[in-house]
Parts: sequence; C-alpha cells; structure tokens
Amino acid sequence: MAADHVTSVRKPDDFDAFWDDLLAQAAEIPLNPTLDPIPLRSNDQVETFEIHYDSLDGVRIAGWYCRPRESYIPPPYPALLQVPGYISEPTLPKSWAKLGYAAVGVAPRGKLRSNAQFNPGYPGLLTHNIVDKETYSYRAFFIDACRAVDFVQSRPEVDASRIGVQGGSQGGALTLTTAALRNDAITCGAAGAPYLTGFMDAASLTHSQPYEEMNEYLRLYPEREEQVRRTLDYFDCINFASRITAPMLVTVGLGDDVCPPETAFDLVRAMSGPVEMVTSPRCGHDAGIYWTQSRIESFLAEHLRPAGIEAGR
Amino acid sequence: MSINPRPEDFSAYWQAVDDELAGIDPAVELEHSPLRSNEYSTMYFARLTSIGPYRIFAYLSIPHGDGPFPALLQTPRYGSVNNPPHFDDRQRYVVMTLMHRGQRLADKPYAAAYPGLLTEGIEDPATFIYRGIVADCLRGAEYLLSRPEVQGQPAAVVGDDLAVLTAARRSRFTAVHYNLFTFYRMMEAAPRTAAYPLEEINEYIAFHPDVVDRVARTVAYVDPLHHASEVRGKVLVNVGDPGSLSGLEFLEPLMQAFGGNAEPYVVSHEGGTDHDAADAWIASQLGSVPKPRLWLEAMG
Repeated sequence: MAADHVTSVRKPDDFDAFWDDLLAQAAEIPLNPTLDPIPLRSNDQVETFEIHYDSLDGVRIAGWYCRPRESYIPPPYPALLQVPGYISEPTLPKSWAKLGYAAVGVAPRGKLRSNAQFNPGYPGLLTHNIVDKETYSYRAFFIDACRAVDFVQSRPEVDASRIGVQGGSQGGALTLTTAALRNDAITCGAAGAPYLTGFMDAASLTHSQPYEEMNEYLRLYPEREEQVRRTLDYFDCINFASRITAPMLVTVGLGDDVCPPETAFDLVRAMSGPVEMVTSPRCGHDAGIYWTQSRIESFLAEHLRPAGIEAGR
Repeated sequence: MSINPRPEDFSAYWQAVDDELAGIDPAVELEHSPLRSNEYSTMYFARLTSIGPYRIFAYLSIPHGDGPFPALLQTPRYGSVNNPPHFDDRQRYVVMTLMHRGQRLADKPYAAAYPGLLTEGIEDPATFIYRGIVADCLRGAEYLLSRPEVQGQPAAVVGDDLAVLTAARRSRFTAVHYNLFTFYRMMEAAPRTAAYPLEEINEYIAFHPDVVDRVARTVAYVDPLHHASEVRGKVLVNVGDPGSLSGLEFLEPLMQAFGGNAEPYVVSHEGGTDHDAADAWIASQLGSVPKPRLWLEAMG
C-alpha cells in the first residue's frame, strides 16, 4: 500500500542551520521591488502588474501581481502566493484577485522573465549541480519563492497577518518549503501532488518526467548516487515538514505516476502542524483537482477571509 | 454568436504555407544524447529549418532493435516547455516531441511570451504567429514520417488543435488524439471563460475593440472545424462535461466535420483513468500494447 511506504530520506544534522544561514543571507539583500502596470491584462475589477525583486546571487526575480481595484473591493487584502509547477508558466492570478486576494504569481529563477542570469532549462533544473548543496539549483530557487513573502509584506494594501501560499506539483513543493522557511509569516498553504518529496524514492518508483531526469543522470553517473542523495536531503520537503506550523491542505492522486503517492504519505507523516490530506483514487498528477478545487478554495478562504468571497462575489 | 465561417481563401492560405515549406531545405541535424538515451531507446536532438526561415527543435527517440516501428508525433503544448517523450512510449514507438518557434530549445532569436503568444500578430492572417507554428509542426511531421524506421507502419499524432491541423495537412497519419481545444470556435468560446489562454483573446478584444472582426477572420484559418474534413485517420476526441466548452453539444459541428472518423472519449476527470484510456486507444491504432500507469495504485 502506498500509505505504508517507508521513506529513505534522512535529515542532515545541520539541515536547519543550513537554511537559517541562507535566510539570514537573503534578509541582508534589499528587495528593490518594482511594479509595472499592465493595462492590457487589467479590467474594471482587477489591476495587473509585472513585478520584479532582488534575490540571492544578484538575480532579479519576476512575477505577476494582481490586486482588486479599490472601487471593486477596498483594502486591506489577504495575500496569496501562487507558486509554479516544473514546466508550467507562472500563474497570472487575475481570477484570485477577483475574489479579493492580492495575488502574486511567482517566477523563481530559470522561469521565463527570471532566466537572464540562470537558465538550466527543462529538463535540467532538477539535476543542475545536484552533487553540491551549496550550488544546487533549488538552493536559491526556494529562496526566490520566500522573497515573494517579503514582496507582499512591502505592499501597503496587504494585511500581512493573512498570507497564504498555494500550488501543485513543484508548486506543491514550493508551498511546503515557503511555509516552512517563512513560518513566521505564512497563515496557511495548499499543496497539490507535492514534488521534491522523497526524491530518490520517487525516482525509483517512476519513469515519468521530471524525476526521470534523475534516473537519466544516475544511469550516466552511477558512482555519484550517494553524493546526490546527500545533496537532496537538504532540499527534501519531508525534511522541511517539521518546520511548518500553519494549517496545510495536501491533495494527492493515488495513481500519480509523476509524483508517486508513497512520497506524499511519507511527507504527511513527517508534518507536526495541522494538516488535512485528501486522496483521490484513480487520479494521477491532477491530484483529483476536478473534485478538490472547491475544497482548496474554501480552505484558503477559511484562513485568509478575502472580502470578495465573504461578499459572495 | 454564430460559427466563424471558413475564409474564402482558406485553401490558398494553407497551400502557400506548404509551398513555402517545400522550398526550404530542412537541413536536419541530429545530435545523439547519451544522457537522455536508455536501455530501450536512443534519443536524438533534432534541429530543422521551417519557414521564415526559422530553426526549430525536436526530441526524436528511436527504439532499439531492427524495427520497423509505429510513429508517434506529439505536437507542442501551449507553454514554453514540452517534456521529452515518455519512457513508456519510447519503448513502443519512434516518438517525436516538437518545440515550435519561441519555445525553449527553439527560442533564439524569438522567445514566445506566456501570456502573449496567442495574440501575436493576430490582426492579420499573414502575420499571425500560428501560421509559422503550424508550419513548424508540418516540418516536424514530414521528417518523422520520412524516417526509415517508420516506413510501412501506422502513425499517430497527439495534442491540441495543432494535432488536428497537422493530420489534416499530412494525410499519412492514421490516428489522431485530439485532447485539448483552444482554436475550436474560439470567438464563441472565449467570452464563456476567464481561463488562460483564451483569456488572452478576451483581454485583447477588450483592449482593442475595433479589431474584433480582424481577429475573428484570422483565427478562422486555424479553427480545427475548418480542417477536420481533411483528416484521413481515426480521431479520438476528448469530451468534457455537458454545457462546458468541451461538451458534446458544443463539439457537435466538429464531430460532424470529421465525417465519421471521430469517436468521443468522455473524460472521467480521473487523470490516471483518462491517461490509460488514451494510451490504450493509441496503442490499438498503432498495433501495439497498452502500458497503463495506474500500476502504482494497483500495487496497493
């Protein structure tokens, strides 16, 4: 049974120190946020902006920012971070803003518009410098998502006591890592089909992309398996799980060939905060979204209380 | 709103694309990728010239063994990235996954924007980006179908509207899985949704209300409805919930236009179930064996 799977992930002794040090480094970097209005993608209810901010290594990170017009819904607004999947384009979250959220579609480094200085490609990101935790792709990628928290906290129209994060697949992973690394700020999170969870176990259970990248890499460099495993332990959502304090919703397809459900069960067992897990039989990487979308929306609304939903819009 | 009519010069428009392609040497370069090859198949990175001229990219996976093998073309999705062919497909078929102009690996000198691609050059059929994108698909198809490993074998094409347009203009394809609609009855569909990419059309028209007729005329050239009668192979069409933009009643003109070649697949919304059904249908059309992925769940 998937639910009985036992993870092979081990937590390094210096896991928390590694990430606390990185967060401290990031905190020293001025955010330098900019907002450029996009009239084409705005309407009577929602204003859309292209945003940028600074992150580690001097990399400029892009995103979409959508907020309700004051004439439609007056501030303050809860913030909702939409974090992207592996090959997905960052969400332009106009429909969330219409509900009353100040919503950010984050584009961590390597995504379009954030790839001038770092662009390992797809496939490529998952195995980029996978033998070294200090230069591995996801080291700064996770921080880029965390910096979106700083961005919404910098906005006067946002109520910084209500910040949610949501995404599927890699977005599910970023939901977990952001909730873990910014547990001082995140109110709740909804993670679908979480990726970057039990990396090595997942790769052994599937031949679907993106984990197949790891199988390909290890076929070519079998002698590096232990080195790879040691690196990935610093980036595994299972090891972030105990840092998460906000309420979380985790949705999983029991037939998911992309992010095997075994790893999601391992993840949820490692979580010590409040968590609701919804499993969907015969569903794949969709994680049963056809049925769970309304639950995700109500979960976020319950914790973030956007005025649009409360007003029945 | 009524169905967007087929432009009078529709055939001439697409014949001109074919003529342009025929006049350009594809200048194929194949680069073997040891990293992406495996125990069942060899992966090549293919670079070809399409109209423009523009260099496009494709993954080409060829099974080990003597062959011949069935051919499977995966047309590009709407987004900057297409995954390489799946391990399961690579064991059974010669598989090509295409990157059209603007997508990653084919994004120099032109990089597509998302959102943005859907409306690029949309006010004039001659400048509409999809004229070139369809040509890119046709170029890829021509090369795949010319490979010695697939001669005498059935061939399938899988994807969104681009799969239908490719099959319509390259009659060698014996099967089409049409799994996602964007250009089908677009001018009627867009106002009924706020979801991207169709929302791009809503935004464009709201911002440029004076060009709605020009937009409508342009997208008529790429509406699968006007290409369906040219498809010679069997077609599996994904059908969604009644009343939705993929509901059977909305698709009825399309099903008629396919002229008896098409069968509906009513999606269950269970991703595992729907994947395995599509895989089994393609396998049956290509004389191969299904490879269901619900094995993970079945293990439980």
